[in-house]
Amino acid sequence: METIKEEKGRFDEWKLSARVFFANRTAVAGLVIFLLFVGDAIIVEVAPGLVGVQYPDSVVPPLFSITHPECVNQAPEPPSFDHPFGTTEYGVPGEGCLDVLQLVMKAIRIDLAISLFVVLVGAAVGTVIGVVSAYIGRLLDEAMMRITDVFFSVPFLILALALSFVLGRTVLNMAYALIIIWWPLYARYGRSLTLSTKEATYIEAAKAAGSGRLKIMFKHIFPNVVPPVLVQISLDVGTVVGIFATLAFIGVIPNALVPELGALANIGLNLAPLGYWWTVIVPGGTITLFSLAVNLMGDGLRDVIDPRRRS
Amino acid sequence: MAFGTSSTRGDGASVADALVIRDLHVQFHTRRGVYKALNGVNLRLRRGEVLGIAGESGCGKTTMGLAVMALLPRNASFPQGQIIFDNKDLMNLPREYWERVGDRFNPKQNERILRRVSKAMGRIRGVRISMVFQEPMTSLNPVLSVGFQIAEAIYVHDPASLAHRVLARTRATASQMPELLAILGTARDDEAAVKEFAAKHDLLGIEDQVLSVWRRDDVHISRKEKAIRLLAGQQIRPVERNIVETVARAGSIPPRFSRVPVLSRVVRRVLLKEGYRKARELLTSLGIPHAERVLKMYPHELSGGMRQRVVIAIALVNNPEVIIMDEPTSAVDVTVQAQILELVKRIRTSVSAAFLVISHDLAVLAEVSDRIAIMYAGRIVEVAPTDKILRNPLHPYTQLLISAIPTLEGKPVEGIKGEVPDMRALPAGCAFHPRCPFAFEKCLEIIPIDLPHDRDQLVACWLYEAK
Amino acid sequence: MIAAYGLSKFFPIRGALRSTISLKAVDDVGLKIQNEQVVGLVGESGSGKSTVGRCLIRLLNPTDGEILFDIPDSELVEYERARADVETKRVDAIADRFSLLRASSAELQSLRRLANIVFQDPYSSLNPRMRLADIISEPMLSTRFCSRAEAAIRSRELLREVGLPEFFEDRYPHELSGGQRQRVAIARAISTNPKLLILDEPTSALDVSVQAQILNLLRGLQEKHGISMLLITHNIAVVAYLAEYVYVMYAGKIMEWGEKQKVLRDPQHPYTKALMSSVPVIGETMTRTILRGDPPNLVNPPIACRFHPRCPVAFDVCGWTAEEVAEDLEYLLGGKYYGTFGDGVRVTTEGERTLTIQGTADAQRIRELAGLENQEVRSLKSVQAIDVSDGATVLRLYEPVEPEMYPTPDGRQVKCLLFRPEVSAPAADS
Repeated sequence: METIKEEKGRFDEWKLSARVFFANRTAVAGLVIFLLFVGDAIIVEVAPGLVGVQYPDSVVPPLFSITHPECVNQAPEPPSFDHPFGTTEYGVPGEGCLDVLQLVMKAIRIDLAISLFVVLVGAAVGTVIGVVSAYIGRLLDEAMMRITDVFFSVPFLILALALSFVLGRTVLNMAYALIIIWWPLYARYGRSLTLSTKEATYIEAAKAAGSGRLKIMFKHIFPNVVPPVLVQISLDVGTVVGIFATLAFIGVIPNALVPELGALANIGLNLAPLGYWWTVIVPGGTITLFSLAVNLMGDGLRDVIDPRRRS
Repeated sequence: MAFGTSSTRGDGASVADALVIRDLHVQFHTRRGVYKALNGVNLRLRRGEVLGIAGESGCGKTTMGLAVMALLPRNASFPQGQIIFDNKDLMNLPREYWERVGDRFNPKQNERILRRVSKAMGRIRGVRISMVFQEPMTSLNPVLSVGFQIAEAIYVHDPASLAHRVLARTRATASQMPELLAILGTARDDEAAVKEFAAKHDLLGIEDQVLSVWRRDDVHISRKEKAIRLLAGQQIRPVERNIVETVARAGSIPPRFSRVPVLSRVVRRVLLKEGYRKARELLTSLGIPHAERVLKMYPHELSGGMRQRVVIAIALVNNPEVIIMDEPTSAVDVTVQAQILELVKRIRTSVSAAFLVISHDLAVLAEVSDRIAIMYAGRIVEVAPTDKILRNPLHPYTQLLISAIPTLEGKPVEGIKGEVPDMRALPAGCAFHPRCPFAFEKCLEIIPIDLPHDRDQLVACWLYEAK
Repeated sequence: MIAAYGLSKFFPIRGALRSTISLKAVDDVGLKIQNEQVVGLVGESGSGKSTVGRCLIRLLNPTDGEILFDIPDSELVEYERARADVETKRVDAIADRFSLLRASSAELQSLRRLANIVFQDPYSSLNPRMRLADIISEPMLSTRFCSRAEAAIRSRELLREVGLPEFFEDRYPHELSGGQRQRVAIARAISTNPKLLILDEPTSALDVSVQAQILNLLRGLQEKHGISMLLITHNIAVVAYLAEYVYVMYAGKIMEWGEKQKVLRDPQHPYTKALMSSVPVIGETMTRTILRGDPPNLVNPPIACRFHPRCPVAFDVCGWTAEEVAEDLEYLLGGKYYGTFGDGVRVTTEGERTLTIQGTADAQRIRELAGLENQEVRSLKSVQAIDVSDGATVLRLYEPVEPEMYPTPDGRQVKCLLFRPEVSAPAADS
């Protein structure tokens, strides 16, 4: 009888986590928006035809002006039934019938992929380095701290610019540049989490049990460091999208054929003074919406792992 | 014993009671369920007595202290109960609230009630009822010096007493002091003598200052006389004098003072300085060596025992009627605990307050208390005079609790089987029945009432119903 | 079973400019635990008792000293003889075989099978993200005590042995109460059949009713498996219940050790006396020795006997410095003896052993004062000579003597100069 009762208690932990998360209305809203973005990205990746998207990797379909001669000298159109977010032009001035909605849908896939790639790789690398150096301590830790200090002392946008010029100005290289900027953050975070976990008595107990350093690190420290890092990742996905878009916006990707929210906003910025406001508002708003949604969701997740919020 | 004469529980509060808690329920509404911390506590604290509250962790003893101070967190609700202090019900819960809060928790309404109770307590908390916490750092501000914190406590709650002290020193003349010293030298009751003298010569406010010097036993008489003589004829600037006199007459700091920055600054400076003086007297009287030095220190510079003494000083500062001590010695070592216990024993004879001492350690309570109440699962299961409850415990829980305490002789100890009940789902009937070796059918169904056994021993157990 | 000699642990103070500044948590501690013996180590917080426990199983590396582990009695006797006779070679030869401090890390790992520890706080000593079965198996797997499959079976057995149901193996620590967690911690500690168990405040975080359960469990395990135990606690009653021998620690030093009955019933060291009288006992009102002040700061501990500033019977050579005497003198001259000396006396110190009272040349009065004041203020006992020079009184103090462990007739050892063989103890104090 007691078994059954207790089993129920165990599932409660998960249920409680869900309850804490869903009690935070804004976090749920963030989650819903985030899932919409993810859904969009998956559909564009798997079955672009389903939503009428063609050539998901480029802004302007190949030979566009030849296949669509009617678009030449066409000014961007305001939102309408056919084009809910209006149309925009690209490349040659006057080629103005690219559907903004479609562009944004393509861009979300790219932005989300890049951002997840950057954050996950950065977090993995950074956390491992942080945990190891904090656990080993002494000289290694000191060296790691100084290296991260170097990264923190240069404004990250400038560092990203410099790195992407060194690596070559392509989308993938920009992602690498962002990873190089991002790992020190996780190294520091992982380090601080490790330092507090290291003080727990169960680490001492593990030592007394004869467990080696590696075992302690992987069996005791990592499992306790990972959950807060995951929350941090969820918060950072939004930030990285914003930074990536910023870099694209200021033109770090020269060959602007990649559908990317920042690049789209950049084009729109030239058109907005002519009265085509939607060309900049829509991609810009999408960036904002995404960052906001991810942040709200992250706050909700933070509640879940916070023992005070749980009770 | 001097007590136990006036009343039994259930009738109206009598004048002999400093504090009465009647059928108090407290619940915490958490995501994991409703946590029933107190389930009908009845308790009367008599004037001048030390009442010990013993129980294991989670039995609600701290919650009870916090409830009296109205210091409970937002998610706490009071389904019912009264806390009667000075013939007033501090809770004064509206009836419809009582009835509703049980089934549905309404955070907004609850917060309103909490705020009202807290407001009613506002003028009492820290002045007429004060509390000493287990961890002294929780009640000390780490960035302010100890002296400032004590001075501020007096300044906020009783500025008039400080004003009287200042004025008494300015009024006293050099010729009055030898007269006072002569009286003190011969008087048997120094306190009464000083009071009489002060009243006669219009020197009210000087009594504490004189007595705190006079009662020191580590100082030579000539030094004491010199210090008392120096009290007289102190000069004060006329502007300050006017301001201080206004405060003394008004009994508090008049609101118009706080509107004028210059005035408020002067009054604050003069009275806080006086507060320091009083703080020094207080610490010296609590047996703290080098009080002057301690006053200038910050809480983190003090040792644990010293911090706890400072906190006790702050609790005593406004001559409260009730002092609640929540685990006053649990954070300190035995030798320091012995110091604190001696201190508590000493101050209880010198102040007229009633003490509610909460502790998990029955031996500590046995040392200082007149009566001991045992709590279990949010109820008081037994209350009796200390020697009685220790020698002849009636409630099975009390009996088992006492037999679980290891002694220096190393006698066999007996644990209580099972675990403390889940306060979210208390067992029906007597909450102790699943662990009780004597439980019978009635215990499983009906919550026991308090059964008087003798005049001064109450036990909530059906075993004693027959009597 | 295990013996420690001259064990010291100094923690360097972070940020200190000179490396000589350190916290002397444990200083020259000797300790011995025989086979199947339960030894108590009592002391107040900050006395270094937990540090000793951690050093004994090398969770901390001691700064100095020697620890011999799992050593036969005959070898131990030989070692002590060699040590006493300063036969360095012989000492080294035995130490090489049994020293815990000279063990390689591979040897240490297998030694971990033989000794384990139970910590005070059952809430932080279990990894919240591990199942109980994994927690209990950890020492068995890490020390290659047995295979994974055997460890799983054994962890179920152990759960039963400590009074928990077997199905708890899949639970996580947060699902358990404090007492149950401590049972799991005990199960983990005994999983490799250790010969020695360090119990670091095993019941301090628990309620009395649960404490009693745990104490009985420990006693049962001890009787069944014959484990030697070092019981570290501030709760003297707990020691009284479990231990046979008691060590009393104060400020990083052992003050007294001996059989439990003798130490607890009839303490000899002034600190032990005060400690025992401070313990509140139900149904007993006893005369208390209230110690003045607080335990010392171990960065800069009192010289010679570390207890002397608080000691109610401290005398001339206990370690008084001029500064300590000066502080007490100022207190007396400004307070109790104000009538005699009035204003204008000032005490200055010159070096460690000399101090000067300016403003009075009345050596006789000072001598009287020093003679009278020996109840509350003890430091004046250290005044060796009082002279007058240049209109000031000069006080010279005795040279302090570092106390050692002195044996008493009834077979215990006390670190107090009152028990120094060449001094007739009672004469030192009235």
